[in-house]
Amino acid sequence: MDNSKSPSEVDFSLILASSVHDMKNSLGMLMHSLEELCEQLPKDNDQGLSASTIRYEAERVNNDLIQLLGVYRLQRKTMTAHVDEHYLDDILAEQNAQYSEVFKARGIELSIDCSSSLAWYFDRELLSGIINNALNNASRYSNKCIKLKAYEIELNGHTFLEINVNDDGGGYPEDILKLDPSDIQNNLNFKTGSTSLGLYFASKVAALHQQNEHIGEIRLSNGGDLNGGVFRLLLP
Amino acid sequence: MGNQKLSTLCNESKFLIVDDFENFRSSLRLMLSSFGANSIETASNAEKALELCKFDSFEVILCDLNLGAGKNGQQVLEELRIKKRLKRTHLFAMVTADTSKEAVLGTREFQPDAYIAKPVTRSTLEERLLQLLSQQVHLKPINKEIDLENYAKAISLCQQEIDKGSRYRSWCLQTMADLYRKIGDSSSAQKIYTEVLSKRPIDWAKIGLGKTLYDSNQYEEAKNVFSSAAEQSPFLVEAFEGISNSCLKLGQKSDAQSALTQAVSISPRMVKRQTKLAQLCLENNDLTSASEAFRHAVSFGQNTVHEVSKLYLDFGRCLSDLALGDTSIKGDALASEASIQLETVLRKFVTEEEACHCANLIKSRILIDRGNKSPALNLIEKTHNTVDQAHMSAELGIELSRSLYAAGKLDEAEKILIDLSQRFAHDPDALAKIESVLDEPEPLEIKIKAKGLNKSGISLFESGRLEEAIEAFSSAIALTPKHAALNLNLAQVAIKLYRETKDNSHLSLAQQSLKRIEHIPEQHKQYRRLQHIRALLEKTKYEVK
Repeated sequence: MDNSKSPSEVDFSLILASSVHDMKNSLGMLMHSLEELCEQLPKDNDQGLSASTIRYEAERVNNDLIQLLGVYRLQRKTMTAHVDEHYLDDILAEQNAQYSEVFKARGIELSIDCSSSLAWYFDRELLSGIINNALNNASRYSNKCIKLKAYEIELNGHTFLEINVNDDGGGYPEDILKLDPSDIQNNLNFKTGSTSLGLYFASKVAALHQQNEHIGEIRLSNGGDLNGGVFRLLLP
Repeated sequence: MGNQKLSTLCNESKFLIVDDFENFRSSLRLMLSSFGANSIETASNAEKALELCKFDSFEVILCDLNLGAGKNGQQVLEELRIKKRLKRTHLFAMVTADTSKEAVLGTREFQPDAYIAKPVTRSTLEERLLQLLSQQVHLKPINKEIDLENYAKAISLCQQEIDKGSRYRSWCLQTMADLYRKIGDSSSAQKIYTEVLSKRPIDWAKIGLGKTLYDSNQYEEAKNVFSSAAEQSPFLVEAFEGISNSCLKLGQKSDAQSALTQAVSISPRMVKRQTKLAQLCLENNDLTSASEAFRHAVSFGQNTVHEVSKLYLDFGRCLSDLALGDTSIKGDALASEASIQLETVLRKFVTEEEACHCANLIKSRILIDRGNKSPALNLIEKTHNTVDQAHMSAELGIELSRSLYAAGKLDEAEKILIDLSQRFAHDPDALAKIESVLDEPEPLEIKIKAKGLNKSGISLFESGRLEEAIEAFSSAIALTPKHAALNLNLAQVAIKLYRETKDNSHLSLAQQSLKRIEHIPEQHKQYRRLQHIRALLEKTKYEVK
């Protein structure tokens, strides 16, 4: 879109957004160079681990940058969901591919539970971003396992798609469970890292998905299949 | 390492990687060959990519959206599709660092088969490519029929695929509907869109429904559907384009212009749409907006399939009209910008004789306007003597007569236009343009003023204020003395007033008006009215006496 403002009118968020773009590009170069380096390295476990740490951390930074850009777009009301029908096993397989190596290096097993015939309506890129971030987050707190599930569920007489990320860690702290995710802008706590930003972004993206009077949302709880934290994404 | 299925799929395909960064190209190449690809070409910019596609056919193209200076990935895709260098069976994936598709969304026909987000990691690319290539192989029989233009066959294959409960159901529905529209079966296409929309307000179905309504002349309904799509997805270029097209059909030209302006601001690089906007602005007499749209079209169209002489000519003419009579610094700048466009025609399209004649003629008007009359007259005379007047196109004829008018050679100009109107008597579009110059050869600014005066004259006449109406029409005629409808309006009011007042000055006013337009040819759309009012005048003269 047109950014033809005079320099004096440029606000901080615009500067931030364009820097973020720049950082994202640099990060991309960095990650590509890493891939090339890895190809040249002998396939040795130790190096595998440090390469996977770089990959994992780079992915975290990338996710943060995407969220920053996303929040910027949300503020300028320039973010919309391009909804179409997608198969969940495609989306989840992609996430699996992205994380399986990293998780293996960290001794975490990722299991996926999703019917191959499950299809739903959503914005592919936005949704992948949320799941990616939830997985990344779960991996920091889980011990051995993460379970990613997708299925249809009935809520208030309407069918929703539920995607959830279960971990076997200590669960979400009480103060995060109490938060209303969409009200996180008032509760951003940067001392606890970027978790809140991720939740805020995820809830906004979920809410972009609407069907009649039903609106997408995220819910956090403890327990679940692995008796740890549960991140639930519900789409109408 | 690696996936056996992917390895087989990759092995069978020729790949092309397009990116401006060496770093990206080489790492992507490494990834692809680790998946099992044997044939991988790379290109560092759009021109090289297009050159490669001229001689070779690639099953898979991974193209970055942002290719630095020059054309971007969207323009590469557009050019490949227009030149039919990209088969439906081939896969074009747009790689983009931008997380939103907005920046790239074009019309459906110019959408890539997939978007891949940067940075690309080996494992995600592996999975994504497996999905995309599996889909490509699975749908190949359908796409093959489309490439062969066996649309009916392709439609029935899509239906079979859907009946099988295919996971590519959504793709099949979209494709089927597109094909139904292509073979002119609007109602079958509409059925698909309506069915999809009964479950979800999906963008592609809304746009499709709007288009089928438009195709079946239901413009008001089409406009509503497009508007609702635009409201739901404010970055949907096609929705705004649809609104604009519908408005045009409904005669709402200024709404059409503002909708198209929005479409263009979302996706400024589409040269065709910029040109369309510019032409629409011209029709709305909005020369300033027209010049802006032309400026974008020219700058994004450089070295593309859209770079044609007409674009530079139209832009140059628009700027020169805008500069006419403007003696300020801004006027000088416009005039020199106009000259640049015309020189470009003379330089780049030297083999196009007619375009060069037009360029010289527009140039001559700029020269006259800037006070260099004698080189201008030479230019006009040279062109006047060279062109084959008995066979020249309406465009060239109009250009020539406009320059003759500007040089003060009114009779010659008029003669050319009258000849033209006889030759193009059966071409209503050309005739309308010829008549408009014949009526109002003066610069557009003056035309607009005259039009305003004419309008207020009519409303004064309608409310019975005849004296004031005569005043308004007379001032308009002072600006465009040969305007047929205007002179007839004046004559009509003057005759009416003469009947009431029996004042002879009104009678002579009417007579002068009719005399000023006695030149209009039989094909002129005001000719019958002229005959009628002439008769009325004679009758009135007789009765009042």
